[in-house]
Amino acid sequence: MAFNDSEAALAAKAEKRMEQALATSSVERDDYVDTTPAEPLTKKDINRMAWRSLALQASFNYERMQAGGWLYTLIPALRKIHKNDEDLRNSMKMHLEFINVHPFDVTFLSGLVLAMEQSKEKISTIRAVKVALMGPLGGIGDAMFWLTWLPICAGIGAALALEGSMFGPIVFLLLFNALHFGLRFGLAHYGYRAGLGAINVLKNSTKKISHAASIVGMTVIGALVASYVRLSTPLEIHAGEAKIALQSGVLDKLMPNLLPLGFTLVVYWLMKKGYSPVKLIGLTVVLGLVGKFMGFL
Amino acid sequence: MLIEALLIALLAGLAGVDLFDGLTHFHRPVVLGPLVGLILGDVHTGLLVGGTLELVWMGMVPLAGAQPPNVVIGGVIGTAFAILTKAEPTVAIGVAVPFSIAVQGCITILFTAFSPMMHKCDAMAKKGNWRGIELVNYFGMAILFCFYFIVAFLPIYFGADAAGAVVKAAPQWVLDGLGVAGGMMPAIGFALLMKIMLNKNYVAYFILGFVGVTYLKLPILAIALGALAIAMIDFFNSNRAQPQAAAARNVEVEDGI
Repeated sequence: MAFNDSEAALAAKAEKRMEQALATSSVERDDYVDTTPAEPLTKKDINRMAWRSLALQASFNYERMQAGGWLYTLIPALRKIHKNDEDLRNSMKMHLEFINVHPFDVTFLSGLVLAMEQSKEKISTIRAVKVALMGPLGGIGDAMFWLTWLPICAGIGAALALEGSMFGPIVFLLLFNALHFGLRFGLAHYGYRAGLGAINVLKNSTKKISHAASIVGMTVIGALVASYVRLSTPLEIHAGEAKIALQSGVLDKLMPNLLPLGFTLVVYWLMKKGYSPVKLIGLTVVLGLVGKFMGFL
Repeated sequence: MLIEALLIALLAGLAGVDLFDGLTHFHRPVVLGPLVGLILGDVHTGLLVGGTLELVWMGMVPLAGAQPPNVVIGGVIGTAFAILTKAEPTVAIGVAVPFSIAVQGCITILFTAFSPMMHKCDAMAKKGNWRGIELVNYFGMAILFCFYFIVAFLPIYFGADAAGAVVKAAPQWVLDGLGVAGGMMPAIGFALLMKIMLNKNYVAYFILGFVGVTYLKLPILAIALGALAIAMIDFFNSNRAQPQAAAARNVEVEDGI
C-alpha cells in the first residue's frame, strides 16, 4: 500500500511510473512555442475542471489507466491557455500518457498542473510533477476515502437501514458526498492557487494525514467487527444432569463477541497468507452449510 | 415484470457508471437496496437486504486500482431476488456473490479491450481533435451503462421464477446455513481493510473500537467521533513536536512501518 511504503519503495514506484509515462508518450518537443504566460484561469474554469474530473475513469483501460479521462478533465482549460495550435496538440499528447491517480483527490493535481500550464512550464517539468504526485495522492485518497470515510458512512447508513429506516441511505449519501464534493472542489482551487508551493505541503503531510485517517479507520473497523459479524453456537455442555449453553453460559461470560472477533482474525490471518477474498467467501459458505448440517452453528 | 426488470436494469446501468465516474456512491447496496425495493414495491425488504449487503461489501473497494467483486450487480440482483423469492436477507448474499464475481471478471476484460482506443486518442491529439477525445470518454461511459443494463436485466427477467423454485425446493438446513454464512461474511470485508491498514501502530485503536461496542455499547458514530478526537490530538501533537525532534520522530515512525 502506497501510504505504508518506505521512501525507497516510493522512489522505486515513481521511477516505474515515469518509465510507463515515457513509454506511452508521443510528445515531440519539450517546450511550448508560445512561452508568454496565459491569462489566469477564472474560478469558473476551475469549477468546470472539478466537475469534469468526475469522469476521470470514463475511458479507463489497463494500458494508460485514466489517461483519457484525465485529458477530458483538462480540455476546456487547455484550450483557453494554449492559443497556439501546436502547443495545444503537444499538451494533449503529454496528458494522454499513462496516469494512475486517485479518483477523489485528483483535482489537487489537475489544479496544480493547470497552474503550470498557464505559466507555460516545460513539458518534462509538468510530467515530472504528475509522476511525483500520483503515489502520495493515491496513498492519501485510499486512506481517507476507501479505508476510513466510506466504512464510517456505510456503517452508519447500514445500521439505520437494518432498523428499516429510510434515513439509512439518505444519511449515507449526504455524509459521504459532503466530504467528497467539498474536497473535490476545495482541492481544485487550492492546487491551482498554491501552484508548485503545494507540492512540499503535500509531501510533508502525506504520512501525517494517512496516519490520522488510519487511526479513525482502525477504531471504526474494530467497532464494526463487534457490531456486525454474527457468529454463535447452539452447542450445550452436559455435566451430569445439568446443561450449560456454551454460548450464553461460557463464551459470553469470557467475553461477548468472542466468536466474531476470532473468526475475523482467522480470516485476516488467511488473507495475509495469500487467500483471495473470493476464496474466503466460498470457504465461509461451506463452513456455514457444514456447521448448520452438523449442528454446531 | 417486464417494466420492473427494465427499470431495475436502468438503475443498474446508472449505478454501474457511478461506480467509476461520478462516485456519488449511490451505487452502494445501502442505497440500491431500497431503490430496487421501491421499484418492486417492497422498500422495507430492500432496506434490510441493502444494509446486510453493505456490510459484506464494506472492504470491497478498488484499492490501488484492483477490481473487487462487483458491488453494483451484487446489490441489485441480491435485493431483487430476495424480494421476488421472499428469501431472508442473509440468503440473498449467496445469490449476489456469484454474480458479483462473474461481473468483476467481465469488467477486467472490458478494461483490457479498451486499451487500443488510446492509440486512436493519440492520433486525435496529433490532429488537435479535442472533441474526438471527449467523445471517446462519453463512449466509454455508454459502454459501461449498456453492459450493466444487460447484465442486470437478463437474470431478473428470465431467472426470477427459476430462482424462486430453487429457494422453495431447497432444504431448510441449506437456507439456514446460507444465513449463518451471511452473518459471518462481513468479517471478510473488515479483514480486507485490516490487511491493508493494520500494523502494530494501529492495533490499539482496533481494540478501542471493539471494546467500545462490546462492553460500552456505543453507537458507531460516537466511536468515530471519539477516534477523530484521538487522531486530531495525535496530528497536532506531532505538528508541535516536529521542529525540535523531527529527525528522531521520523526514525521512530519508519521503524513501525
